[in-house]
Amino acid sequence: MRSLDRIKAAINLEPTDRLPVIAQIFAHTALIAGKSIREYVLCGRQLAECQVKALERYGCDAVFAFMDANIETEALGSKIAYRLNDYPYVQSHAFTKSTNLEAVPIPDPSNAGRMPEILKGLGIMRRELGDEVLVVGCVLGPMTLVTQLVGMETALYLAIDDPDGFEKLLDFATRVIIRFGAAQIEAGAHLPLLFDPSASMAVIPASFFREFELPRLTRIIKAFQSAGALAGWLHIAGPITPVLPLLAQTGANVINFDYCVDPDEVLRMKSRLCFNGNIKSLDFEIAEDEEIFDEALRLKKLFSARRGFVLSSGCEIPPGSRPENIEAMVAAAHSER
Amino acid sequence: MDSLVEALLNGDQARSIDETRKLRNAGAGIERIVVEGIGRAMDRLDGKCTIEQFNLLEIMLVGRAAMGVIKELFPAGGSGTPARGTVIVCSLEGDVHDIGKNILKMILTAKGYKVIDCGKDCQVDKLVEAAGQHGADAICISGLITTVVPQVRTVRDLAEKRGIGHVRILAGGAALKQATAQDLRVDFVADTAFDAARFLESAVAVQAV
Repeated sequence: MRSLDRIKAAINLEPTDRLPVIAQIFAHTALIAGKSIREYVLCGRQLAECQVKALERYGCDAVFAFMDANIETEALGSKIAYRLNDYPYVQSHAFTKSTNLEAVPIPDPSNAGRMPEILKGLGIMRRELGDEVLVVGCVLGPMTLVTQLVGMETALYLAIDDPDGFEKLLDFATRVIIRFGAAQIEAGAHLPLLFDPSASMAVIPASFFREFELPRLTRIIKAFQSAGALAGWLHIAGPITPVLPLLAQTGANVINFDYCVDPDEVLRMKSRLCFNGNIKSLDFEIAEDEEIFDEALRLKKLFSARRGFVLSSGCEIPPGSRPENIEAMVAAAHSER
Repeated sequence: MDSLVEALLNGDQARSIDETRKLRNAGAGIERIVVEGIGRAMDRLDGKCTIEQFNLLEIMLVGRAAMGVIKELFPAGGSGTPARGTVIVCSLEGDVHDIGKNILKMILTAKGYKVIDCGKDCQVDKLVEAAGQHGADAICISGLITTVVPQVRTVRDLAEKRGIGHVRILAGGAALKQATAQDLRVDFVADTAFDAARFLESAVAVQAV
């Protein structure tokens, strides 16, 4: 079975020859290829080379065109500080709470900031890998993009002090995301992963999620599916148990769950969703490979009767992780046990 | 006082300040407003904030309202009363996220601690220097990214080397709370800002005995 077919089967809750496994590795792929993180996040070609090398080394079922969480906000004018061996960060935000959004054009992914580099990376990987493995793009979710555009504190206070203004920002972010995601599909992504850590219950209450986030996630996933995405894949890091039933309403086919979500809660859901998760990210850096293997095996057994499960970490595998720990996760997926 | 507590818990800063003024006009003392108003609101929020039900938005709103009341009570800054202890807060070098640190700062300030904010992207050396300079009881490190783990592990050695090995070291935040205290060589890993405050309440009190 090809990796892509294995993933497709998992999404459709069909049997697979072995448990599908993905490693959510981004800057880690640069470090093991002997490149700096700076090189990786600035160049689509470098990203593609590093991801393909990591695929050859670990034998997972997907590659990712993910650089860092600042692509969209940089394309809209945020000033980004780059570091040699750390992810870049927002030095000054593009918008204030009083920015006139009607005067701001939606960025053109073919020429705005590093968006074209992401498209280039996707094109290279898709040409090289074809339909052998899942080629994953990535866009931020609306809540996270808003926090990246104005800053977390400003965004959250705005939501309470000026809900109309906040909703306008969310709608603007939604339009940016849809355009960027559609361009990724056109460039070769089988699907863009929708990454929205600021929408977790660590940041906002479930009622807030239902009112502000749910309708926009639904709109984005529908737009991606219309643009030809293989599936809708939603990744909200952190605690999401209170909104698990709502996530099914977004139209997403795959839901990532983090280490802090009890797998039993996921298993109790009566839905036709596929899930991926949830080995603790930091453990890839500080635990022993035997521990990772045992945890992966535990998850494999837990979900064995369900189908519709992709083994992975709960969130990004940190750049400095021990390669043998990633190998241990993959080995557990391949194991007969 | 109940109206103030309710306004604080609703995160309504304007009403909280208004209720504080009413209480002052009616003769309520500053200490009583701090203890029975802000203190009670913080205790009730603490009780509500389990690991599953702890979100930044609610905490930030209550924190902002409490800060408004503190500013109303102490317009010249400072608390005017002896602090429960001195705490250094920071995010370490390479970590430019400060939301978690800012939340902790608000909560500890509202609970009566003197909080020294070493900011984000702070070098371990500067952090320990500040702890010595201010006679801190504790150092609280907030970490959103895993790359700061090696730095966290060096704080204790440096503190001991500088003769302030007695200072309690706490860690928290999305990345650091995945580790154990032993992993990070700290005294306590907090799941939430209130969790950190509870540890400080017991640790600083124990030290004072």
